Amino acid sequence: MAKISFAICEKSYLIRKGLASVIEKIPDTKIVQQIENEEELIVSASNCEADYLIINKSFATKPEIKKVLATFSDTTRFIVLSNDNNTEVSGINYEGIVNINDSQIIILKKIKEITGKNTVTHDDIIPGEISKREADILKNIALGFSNKEIADKLFISTHTVVTHRKNITRKLGIKTVPGLTIYAIINKLIDIDKEK
Amino acid sequence: MLITKNIKMADVIHMNYFTLSVLNRFGIELGFGDKSVEDVCKKYEVDPFFFLEIVNTFVNEDYFPKKHLQTFSVSLITDYLQKTHHYYHKVKVPEIELLIENMVEGCYTQKDNMVLLRKFFNDYKNELLNHTQREEEVVFPYTLAIEKAFLNQNPDDSVLQMMETYSIDIFENEHDNIEEKLFDLKNIIIKYLPAPKDQRLCNKLLHELFNLEQDLNDHSRIEEKVLVPKIRVMEKQIINSFTNR
Repeated sequence: MAKISFAICEKSYLIRKGLASVIEKIPDTKIVQQIENEEELIVSASNCEADYLIINKSFATKPEIKKVLATFSDTTRFIVLSNDNNTEVSGINYEGIVNINDSQIIILKKIKEITGKNTVTHDDIIPGEISKREADILKNIALGFSNKEIADKLFISTHTVVTHRKNITRKLGIKTVPGLTIYAIINKLIDIDKEK
Repeated sequence: MLITKNIKMADVIHMNYFTLSVLNRFGIELGFGDKSVEDVCKKYEVDPFFFLEIVNTFVNEDYFPKKHLQTFSVSLITDYLQKTHHYYHKVKVPEIELLIENMVEGCYTQKDNMVLLRKFFNDYKNELLNHTQREEEVVFPYTLAIEKAFLNQNPDDSVLQMMETYSIDIFENEHDNIEEKLFDLKNIIIKYLPAPKDQRLCNKLLHELFNLEQDLNDHSRIEEKVLVPKIRVMEKQIINSFTNR
């Protein structure tokens, strides 16, 4: 199996190094890049080879940084490094949150969970099939949410949800909700054991 | 090529073996030697003209003599539709279930996915069952009663009462698209399911699904294009006959 690669974007030298040394304790992982500021992040966006970018929350939620994050390729997923207990980070499509105050065991557990969840789909997912946003919508359809509920959750209009649904159906060639649900499970967009 | 009453029944099967399932529905058994379609139909007391139209529309998507099909009696049409229901539940669905079961049994790498497929098809089966049950318990009896009242010169008021609570328009509106899920299932297997180890089983399953889908399409075409318009005309005339009294 190929090594899972990480990039860390964090201002504090100590936290950056500390997190890197914790993550490297997990077998088959490597830290490919350490990013200190916005300039470095912009450079990294165009050529990032990491599977995961771990990024400081207060840094990531700045509007100009959000724009930079949007330019990362789909192969790089985000993990938020947080310094508060808030479990929601708006505006970023992230895989999980690691807290600065977490113990080493918790950090390892979280990282393993996040990467374990994605290792299967990583190579299998069909590129260009549906967009990240459509995948979000699809996930919620599969979980049984109505158009209205999905719209409220993702802060978009019901009309937009309907448009996304049409596009998903057209792209995948699947019309019914049960069919879409199976697609979501097969492609690990949702985890049935967790959702039960 | 159109099948006609003088063609040998054996040649009908040679031309297109999908006709086997239609023969089966009409209760016609194999071993008919060189007998013609007409003779075989006579032996099994099947209306040869009805048989020909059904078998021709079944094998040839472009052939659909709507007007001619509408000349057959409602009882003949609903009887055939009921036979196709029976064929789905007693033959087709169990065949597909067995294939899926074999796939679940024989799969080690993605058992979860196979179990999902099984559940999906099981839900579909129940949906199909509800669908056909509704037709047999509500729709077909209604159409038969309409035909009876239509043929009767002096129908009594009970038919009007019946028509107040139900009509063929209601059926047309509630007649849901039962093929959609099947379409999805096919696409999931063809496009998205990681290739199962036993490709042979998978191909067989797809073959059966395509088969059932085609059959269902043919079935709903007869319901929507033949039965519904025919009953609608009868309903109108019954109402007219009452208003002119």
